Amino acid sequence: MKQDTERKITVEDLIRLKRAERPPAEFWATFEAEIRSKQLSAIVNKRPWWHGLARASAIVSRYQLPFGAAAAVALTWAGVHYYSASPSRVIPVAAVRSEAKVVVSAPVAAAQLAVAPVVERTVRTREETEVGIQEAAPVHEAVVTATASHLSKAPSDIPYDAIAKSPFGDGIAVSLADYREPAADPSRRSVFGTDRDFEPSIAVSRQAPSDPLARMDPAEERRSRLLAPALPAYASGSRSSLAGDWMKARASSDERMYESMDRGSSDRMLVGFRF
Amino acid sequence: MNASKALEKTLVASPERKLEADADLDIVRKVQAGDVAAFDKLILKYRERVLGIIYNMTSNREDAADLAQDAFIKAFQSINRFQGQASFFTWLYRIAVNSTVTHLRKNRLRSFFSLESVREDDPVSKELVDALTDKTGVGRDTFVRELQEKLNDAMQKLSINHRTVVTLFEIDGLSHQEIAEVMDCSVGTVRSRLHYAKQLLQAELQPYLQK
Repeated sequence: MKQDTERKITVEDLIRLKRAERPPAEFWATFEAEIRSKQLSAIVNKRPWWHGLARASAIVSRYQLPFGAAAAVALTWAGVHYYSASPSRVIPVAAVRSEAKVVVSAPVAAAQLAVAPVVERTVRTREETEVGIQEAAPVHEAVVTATASHLSKAPSDIPYDAIAKSPFGDGIAVSLADYREPAADPSRRSVFGTDRDFEPSIAVSRQAPSDPLARMDPAEERRSRLLAPALPAYASGSRSSLAGDWMKARASSDERMYESMDRGSSDRMLVGFRF
Repeated sequence: MNASKALEKTLVASPERKLEADADLDIVRKVQAGDVAAFDKLILKYRERVLGIIYNMTSNREDAADLAQDAFIKAFQSINRFQGQASFFTWLYRIAVNSTVTHLRKNRLRSFFSLESVREDDPVSKELVDALTDKTGVGRDTFVRELQEKLNDAMQKLSINHRTVVTLFEIDGLSHQEIAEVMDCSVGTVRSRLHYAKQLLQAELQPYLQK
């Protein structure tokens, strides 16, 4: 038969052979009975509620990209809006410098907890404390004390009577009295001021070096002034620094000693050595 | 009007199916109105084709029977959501294909053949078997059985999408447009998949093509 037919077999022909793979006729009787029972059960039994959820999730899954993009835009907007609005609540650094406001840090707030049972004061969070200090600054005149490790603010609104009832009342009262003492704070401006402000204040407070050779006659002063440019400290600038003054005084004292020896030998003192 | 336009777009390659689709739509309207028995007509009309698609995709007659029944039940349960924008035939095929694809993906590691016998009373298959062999009797049946296994084996080596395209086009006779509607993809994708699948099948079935 193969020799009789000259027809070329193709892939399509082989695939079409699968069309002939059919079930026998009795299969359909079973099929019909089964599908009828399933149909009846589908009519009687309602679909469970989670089938609706599954369908809803399938619908939502189509819009995953738009939902994600909308969420990203909303988060970005919220972030920008929050961070642009928040600086109004934060104390600017310049204001802190000029008015010497002090941000109470967490350890200080924790230290105030010991006083809390007595004065019934609630410890606020750091941010709330910042805002509170900013609002309360004009009223309490911001008494500031510098300690070894940090700055702290004295609770000025605590009455003395309330503190005296506590077991540590004496100590606390003494500390509060120290805090409230309107002592002059010489470092107040120097600490937060610029270096230009700091340097003159230190220079003024520093005592002038006591020089035993301060009483010099005009000739010696003129000589030392003429010799001063030769000293290295003079080249640093027109304003004489402390080191420059010291070196200039030392050089002038040495010259004066040599001159006095020379003068003594020439005018009044005759030293002779005879062997 | 909108539904009829969509129907025309779907059935542009086969105008004879427009009458068929209109008849199906009438039956669907009856079922939607509460005539449950009218759905039996649709089952009787499409059961062989639905079973054939699923069987050629799974190469397992028991799974194919279950999946075909499930596809009809799903169509029955969702018949109220059918609005007639596509033909009932396309809609039912899509349900069957989606159920089968889900089943195949779930049971990717468990696949074994349970083949139907080739009915040689079909003139096309008889002619093909005659062209392939000159044997008669037991030898012929063995050769046909071997060819059938080899054919199903080659089909199962295809991916699910390629296998679906080959099944719908070569075995069930759907047009590219209809396959694109059923598989929810473009016509170009259908053609590309069909071309690639035929190349793979040709490589697999090369010994039978040389005869």
